[in-house]
Amino acid sequence: MASNAAAPFWRSAGMTYITYSNICANLVRNCLKEPYKTEALTREKVHFSVSKWTEGKPEKPTIRSDTPED
Amino acid sequence: MAMAAVRREGRRLAPLISPQSITAVRPSVISQEQAPLGLRSISTQIVRNRMKSVKNIQKITKAMKMVAASKLRAIQVRAENSRGLWQPFTALLGDTPSVDVKKNVIVTISSDKGLCGGINSTSVKISKALKKLTAGPDKETKYVVLGEKAKAQLIRDSKKDIELSITELQKNPLNYTQVSVLADDILKNVEYDALRIVFNKFQSVVSFLPTVATVLSPEAVEKEAESGGKLGELDSYEIEGGETKSEVLQNLGEFQFSCVLFNAVLENACSEQGARMSAMDSSSRNAGDMLDRLTLTYNRTRQASITTELIEIISGASALEG
Repeated sequence: MASNAAAPFWRSAGMTYITYSNICANLVRNCLKEPYKTEALTREKVHFSVSKWTEGKPEKPTIRSDTPED
Repeated sequence: MAMAAVRREGRRLAPLISPQSITAVRPSVISQEQAPLGLRSISTQIVRNRMKSVKNIQKITKAMKMVAASKLRAIQVRAENSRGLWQPFTALLGDTPSVDVKKNVIVTISSDKGLCGGINSTSVKISKALKKLTAGPDKETKYVVLGEKAKAQLIRDSKKDIELSITELQKNPLNYTQVSVLADDILKNVEYDALRIVFNKFQSVVSFLPTVATVLSPEAVEKEAESGGKLGELDSYEIEGGETKSEVLQNLGEFQFSCVLFNAVLENACSEQGARMSAMDSSSRNAGDMLDRLTLTYNRTRQASITTELIEIISGASALEG
């Protein structure tokens, strides 16, 4: 069923398996009908702030979030 | 005589201001005590103010305990359900905490908010011990820190070894998508042979066990597979979804990390709420004890001042007569 490529298309596009399965899950959640759809989509909200450290100093944190900052 | 008793009472109040209770009121009672003999003892106003503030603190900590209890109930169910996510992985790939690899990355999970007892300190202590354990010639260990509290503690002596620090994780209720995006970030930014996740596993409302979960990178899994054991039997399984074994291992490894991290974050959140519950509970109990002692002091002071007044009046009256 899968093509006989050396790597699946998503791997060669730079995605990890985690990203791939998240996108698939999102597709499945979007197939639901209301009101279950909005319930399921609230389970997908992402918000955290990550900062990379170099030489013992944190850089400016980048916020990865679905909700817009106000 | 009453003065001496009150002074003794004041000295007994000092040990109650232990780190457990969160009273920040200065011991003004005790400093007032050093008044020379003959003066009226501590005014009742000060004691009354202190009693009012301690009562407020007791109410606040009791409310915090209730809030923590309700949050705990909600999240405990999810944590126990999420245990089923990584159990198949352990059944398939085994758990190898004693694996010896070159690059270790320690993921320390802690809370952002305080007032939750000692769980963050134990996590940091275990992480530091793990670092010492896995140190050696041409081995390196790095930290990835989740949560403000562990960051503050690890900054003090391991600043150079921190790779990433993540905060504000609990702004929205925890869900798998968020943790998996986080896991993805970690995987993309950090090179590792073995990831060790340090968190507090939730046993019950009063007991939290610090645990280390180990996730190996696909290459490390290959190496371990050669030495036999659970991993060696991986070849006897027929696996769909990938052409080569290394590809399958890579997918599995990433997914395993994501699931284990999800469970770890949930368990740590549970432990945080449980620890906060017990910390707030002991705090309100301490505040109650303090309130009792203050009430005794207050009554004693009040009675002493009334007695002194009576004595003055009576001696004054008898002086007039005589």
